[in-house]
Amino acid sequence: MSNTANTLKIHTFTCAWCGLTATKTASDGSLRNHCPSCLHSQHVSDHVEGGPSECDGRMSPIAIAVLRTGDWMLIHRCVRCDELTSNPVCADDNQLILMRMAVRPLAQPPFPLEALGSL
Amino acid sequence: MPRRTRPRGHDDRRSQRRKDVLHEASGHRANDFRCAGCRLDVSLHAPGTAHRNHCPQCLASLHVDRRIPGDRASECRGRMEAVAVFTRPDGEWMIVHQCLSCGELSSNRIAGDDNALALVRLALRPLHDTDRASRTLINL
Ligand SMILES: [Zn+2]
Ligand SMILES: [Zn+2]
Ligand SMILES: [Zn+2]
Ligand SMILES: [Zn+2]
Repeated sequence: MSNTANTLKIHTFTCAWCGLTATKTASDGSLRNHCPSCLHSQHVSDHVEGGPSECDGRMSPIAIAVLRTGDWMLIHRCVRCDELTSNPVCADDNQLILMRMAVRPLAQPPFPLEALGSL
Repeated sequence: MPRRTRPRGHDDRRSQRRKDVLHEASGHRANDFRCAGCRLDVSLHAPGTAHRNHCPQCLASLHVDRRIPGDRASECRGRMEAVAVFTRPDGEWMIVHQCLSCGELSSNRIAGDDNALALVRLALRPLHDTDRASRTLINL
């Protein structure tokens, strides 16, 4: 593969949040929708009406949803318009941020967990 | 005790203040809904929130809102399943709902009488799949 500036532009994008330059496809061949380092994304498509969105706001990762297959989905929320999206987690996504997101609600339960007895 | 003769103006004023009617303890069945997930009869009155939008037992909801919570502008009416919880900066737990019919997502505050076990089960889901969780921890 050639490393010319043109090839870089076609195959990579620069994260608007942390500035990382990442490949547009992940190692498993899937298309990236978020930065593998900070997991932030950009609001570019309208999920209610369909088609592109003019919002262009920053989408921050807020939660992990688990599919019946066991795969993790990353839930993003647009900081500008509050729209939510769900996208597959990539193999090389930042594991520390993913894990922190997964355990955060349990670190701040709305009720004492001891009261539940055995789960 | 209800008064037998009420001034007309009083009735008119009451019919315009919908929120007061919803919160009355008179048990109007018209204000309840039957959960699409577990068939529980649910009262719209929920402690700690102005408006209940999910079943306190199974956490399921209905796709009735379009863009803004409470706008009731969606015609989908699909069943919405609780798929994740997250914590707001102020520490409050929020539920992410996803519509089983159209895939739309929404986030909602938990209510004071939501089933605690159902909430914790939901929060534990990403850690439940031990393979995935331990792989993630090893990779740290
Ligand atoms: Zn980034
Ligand atoms: Zn947006
Ligand atoms: Zn229910
Ligand atoms: Zn729907």
